[in-house]
Amino acid sequence: MRLEDVVDSAKDFLHEFRYQKGGILGFILLLLLILAAVFAPNITSPDVPERWSKEFWVENPPNVPPTWINYFSSKKLAPHEILSLDDMQVEKLDGGGVLLRIVYTNTYDVPPKDIILQGFNVSSSDARNKPLMTITLKRPDGSEVVLLEDRRVSSNTVIQIATNTEVRKNVFEWAKKVSGAKLSPSEEIKLQALMDTMKILFGKADENIFEGTSPLHGDYVFEVKITYQDGDNSLDLSNLTAIFSGRTYGLMGTDSKGRDIWAGLVWGTRVSLSVGIAVAVLSVLIGIVYGVASAYFGGWKDEVLQRFNEFMFSMPVLPILILLGAYLGHVALSQIVLLLVLFGWVGVAKVARSMALQIKEQTFVEAARALGAGSGRVVFKHIMPQIMPYAFSQMALSVPYAVMTEAALSFLGIGDPTAVTWGQMLYDAQNAGATINGYWWWVIPPGLAIALVGLAFVLIGVALDRILNPRMRTL
Amino acid sequence: MSFARYLGIRIFNALLVLIFVTFVVSILFVKVAEDDAKTRIAEVINNEARNPAILRLKASDPEAFEKWKSNREEQLRREFELDKPFWERVISKTKNTLLLKFGNARSPVFGEIKVSKIIEKAIPRTVLLFTTAQIIITFIGLLLGIKAAQKAGKFVDKLLSVLAMLTASLPMWWVGMVFILAFSFQLGIFPASSLPNPNLEGFAYYKDLLWRMVLPLITVVFVSFGGWAYTTRNIMISTMHEDFITVARAKGVPENRVIYGHALKAASPPIVTNVIIGLLGSLGGAIITEAVFNWPGMGRLYWVALQQSEVNLLMGVTYVTVALFLASMIIADVIYGYLDPRVRVGR
Repeated sequence: MRLEDVVDSAKDFLHEFRYQKGGILGFILLLLLILAAVFAPNITSPDVPERWSKEFWVENPPNVPPTWINYFSSKKLAPHEILSLDDMQVEKLDGGGVLLRIVYTNTYDVPPKDIILQGFNVSSSDARNKPLMTITLKRPDGSEVVLLEDRRVSSNTVIQIATNTEVRKNVFEWAKKVSGAKLSPSEEIKLQALMDTMKILFGKADENIFEGTSPLHGDYVFEVKITYQDGDNSLDLSNLTAIFSGRTYGLMGTDSKGRDIWAGLVWGTRVSLSVGIAVAVLSVLIGIVYGVASAYFGGWKDEVLQRFNEFMFSMPVLPILILLGAYLGHVALSQIVLLLVLFGWVGVAKVARSMALQIKEQTFVEAARALGAGSGRVVFKHIMPQIMPYAFSQMALSVPYAVMTEAALSFLGIGDPTAVTWGQMLYDAQNAGATINGYWWWVIPPGLAIALVGLAFVLIGVALDRILNPRMRTL
Repeated sequence: MSFARYLGIRIFNALLVLIFVTFVVSILFVKVAEDDAKTRIAEVINNEARNPAILRLKASDPEAFEKWKSNREEQLRREFELDKPFWERVISKTKNTLLLKFGNARSPVFGEIKVSKIIEKAIPRTVLLFTTAQIIITFIGLLLGIKAAQKAGKFVDKLLSVLAMLTASLPMWWVGMVFILAFSFQLGIFPASSLPNPNLEGFAYYKDLLWRMVLPLITVVFVSFGGWAYTTRNIMISTMHEDFITVARAKGVPENRVIYGHALKAASPPIVTNVIIGLLGSLGGAIITEAVFNWPGMGRLYWVALQQSEVNLLMGVTYVTVALFLASMIIADVIYGYLDPRVRVGR
């Protein structure tokens, strides 16, 4: 084939492809997926794969739905927010120390789950004389609650407002005062143990503050006063963060370990596309070479190759893959590719053989032989180019199969546990009882992503099939 | 080649595959069982070494203790058949498996400990679910496929092809998870687990079983019917372009008779083969779907065996699955050859 021929046939192909609406849709989908895969580090963050298999993403709230559900529900849930020192007002105190003001505007019906303060960096010469911290909350209704008084701060101090025992005690005493409730000692113990600190802090101060009070909207100011003697201590707050642990998180919510599902989805495209395409290309190429060789050699060689093909065809693939997976323990992605290729070439080889048998008998092949062309030349110059169109559509059509099988193996728990894959996410979801608990944001997106990859390649494959092999429609 | 001879070769081929697969799987599992047995021997000996009498022996006469230990090890190795060479164990395992002697599971599944008994309980349930599904799929698929073929290129036809592509891209087990989420937990219509209540008996038991079957059944049908209808459509379209249909129409045969009588009859061999291949496929795809629904069939057995690393059970289920798969391939061939005489001559 000369270069002009290639360009011409490519032009023809593109011309025809424009009339395949499905094919164009598939192509756009594929382009989006490829973009997601390539720019995964930019879209999310580059450390996602290393962090994914770690136990917990402590800074994220576990099992919360995506933020956008607020548009669809009547109750507004507080989103996840992380404030750094830049978002706070800092004031130097005269006697030594700082006063931080953290302003939080509450417009939500359900307040954050927790507020976490961390990142104090204290170096002190005298361990017993560390800085003292007092946290006061100024509520929009004018009342003031002292949450924490004179707590010593060191570098590893992490304050969790919702669960801190001292805060809970202070909040309880305050709430008892505002509600004016007379409580028996046993009731007091029970309430103090069960109350939701955050709901009380962000709720209207009236008599039913303990029984699900209505939310109080407005600006809340957390005043964090840290006092110390300059000589003894130095305090570096540049790493300080206040995490308002949300009832919702990001674009897709989080799973039970607090992992960002959106990040998993985006990174999953890499595995999915690379496994799918690698398997499809390798198995179709092997299948075609096998089929053409079988047809070209003929005789007893063909017989042997065909017996082996039939033998592989009779293997139930999934059970065998599962067995091999169970034997190997966890299967690395490269091994999955290898296994899928091992069983993937069989069908293609059969069709390629029957096509090659026809082509072999055509006059131009005979002519080439008569002119003294060798086997290699006949096979690669004359037979292969005729089969390649079929190969392209087959490649596209076998990607979904590979993607789904990889997901299935991961779902059974024998996938690569260190890789971020959609199957692995669904496996985790199933193990954590996501369906039972109604965590739809954890179950639906990974499956839709798998389906999307499948759909993209099916659409492309069908379009290619219609254009390139009008006589052999597979779907 | 006569059909009998063709069939004979097919059966011989299938048996060869069966023996080979069993052999390979035996190699894998004898190896797994060996590592398993070694840790268990070490456990047993450690346990027994905590016995006061043995402890005393260890303190007073270390040499005698070592001797006791090696003796005991030898004894246990014989018990676990580790004294025989690897290949001998593989061959005996292959032979036993081929003769359906799978041995026992370590803990009871479905209330049975014998692997063959467990599988005996599971097969009918898988067949019940997937055969029913396949019948429904075939029925819907035929109706829709014929309708689409009649109106090729029109709206119904286009809708069907979109539906077929969409559903073909969905993993069946994931659809199962979503359906459980929607119908069991959000709407509360169907039970989430298909494991039947063991306390029921007689009629109530079957009623419960069937009720629990509905959601898995809907899932299987939902995922498969579109692709199936599309296949039927393609087969029907190519048949309806053949000359004898034109002749029948020209003779004035009523349109319904042309389609359901002439065309469908001619198109039936590939359709029937497709039905059988669909059944085969469902046996494989069922593994995860059954696990998701807790449907107590072969698929769930696979899942249980994997999770609890029940080597014997895994071996038995694999063997039976492969055997069923091969058997249905042969049956498909027989039916195809019966329906389409050209096949017999052609090969």
